[in-house]
Amino acid sequence: MRGGTFAALAAAAVILDATVASEITILGARPDFLVLVIVYGSLLMGGRAAISAAFIMGIFADSQMPEYLGLNALALSIVAYATAGVWEHLVKTNVMVQCAVILVATLLRDFIYYLIYYRNHMDMFFDFLLRHGIIGAVYTAAFGVLVYAAARLRGWRAIAGGNQW
Amino acid sequence: MLSQLARLFRGNRELSTFTICVVLSFTLMALPPSAKDAVSHILATPLRPFKSLKTMGDELAGVRDENQALRRMAARLMDEKRALIEYKHENDRLRELMSFLVSFPEEEHLALLPAKVIGMPGVRTIETIEIDRGSLDGISAGRAVLVPDGLVGKVVRVQADRAQVEPLASAASAVSVTIERSRVRGVVKARYGGPGGLLSWEIDYVPARSDVEPGDLVVTSGLGGVFPPGLTVGTVQSIEEGPLTMRVRLALAVDFSTVEQVFVVTGTRASLPGRSEAEERLLRELERSQVTPRDDEYGADRGTEQTGDQGTSPDAAGEQPGGELGDEETE
Repeated sequence: MRGGTFAALAAAAVILDATVASEITILGARPDFLVLVIVYGSLLMGGRAAISAAFIMGIFADSQMPEYLGLNALALSIVAYATAGVWEHLVKTNVMVQCAVILVATLLRDFIYYLIYYRNHMDMFFDFLLRHGIIGAVYTAAFGVLVYAAARLRGWRAIAGGNQW
Repeated sequence: MLSQLARLFRGNRELSTFTICVVLSFTLMALPPSAKDAVSHILATPLRPFKSLKTMGDELAGVRDENQALRRMAARLMDEKRALIEYKHENDRLRELMSFLVSFPEEEHLALLPAKVIGMPGVRTIETIEIDRGSLDGISAGRAVLVPDGLVGKVVRVQADRAQVEPLASAASAVSVTIERSRVRGVVKARYGGPGGLLSWEIDYVPARSDVEPGDLVVTSGLGGVFPPGLTVGTVQSIEEGPLTMRVRLALAVDFSTVEQVFVVTGTRASLPGRSEAEERLLRELERSQVTPRDDEYGADRGTEQTGDQGTSPDAAGEQPGGELGDEETE
């Protein structure tokens, strides 16, 4: 993947997150397009690019909520760093592994975000994480299957391996 | 220590990038609110067109849904309006009939049965009016039929569930009438002329130089034995003096083409065994509320009528000192 394509995908993710993500909720949980891009960005572009992109996407996401400016940037940067470190030890082209990484990355982002957001109301933190965080993580992980399927169709070896439909 | 850290960051570019991002994040979080607002405003600028686009899309979808809902509502309201207009007409008609029943002169003592007009067969004129009451409802031939405006005609044929009424407009019809003001008598008949069309109604057998004027009210005389006296037939339209009789043209009170609901006179109250249950209840309520009934409604006239032991209720008889009054009137 080229840098320009990655930047375009990151921009698309920010726009989708700010516009349509709230329209496609399931049980109140919305898919996390930013984490999706970070996970695949770290897989394809490496840690540095993913962390930089995560930070930039994060501050754009934060612009929707000025009071907590920097919170998304921090959470997504941590997610990108952790994901980049994890990929070195995993089979990157396995769909289950990809979904699991997306699931854990989404949960990690929610954990960091809500931990700071609800730092004075820990009961709400756990409640929110259990009720929306887990469903949102599963929902986002389901998009991993779609990305994998698209990669197999298009023959993107970095994601789908040598197999092609 | 610092040199060790510098070496670590130099050897791990991911870590250095991550550290810079984390430090920047905390710096942003530590900014004063006004600075945060300013930065957020700048960062949100590129996203604003997309958000506006989404808002427009949402509004368009909302407008489309609202439009469909309004169309459905408009159709439903039109239906309801049509129904309400129909109800209003029916209500007006029933209200008129009700006021007629309430205000009907007590001295006539008529028992009225409401009936609906279900047909008006006739080619050039209204020859027959068909009503939805028949022998099963106690109707027999010869009964008078009226509406609040006046006399309609009489029942000529009766079936079990329907009856045919011969209206005044019919050529065969003849009604004995009286000029209400001067008590001059005559017989109303339809006069045909021209190419088969109905011309007018005239009162025959009115002697010349009788006291008749245009605008005089014409009512039934009761002499024929068919129609009770005092029912409105029409008004005098014009008069022409002749050598022996007067030619009196009449404008009928009833427009037969618009009649929908009629009353059939099924008998006189005098012939009934006593007051109806409704009348008794009304009288009891009047007594209880200590409202003195008007003389012309339930007072003197009742006394007159029921002196002859028509099954008057003890209450009513007691209330009407009027044995005496009744006697006077009878005399």
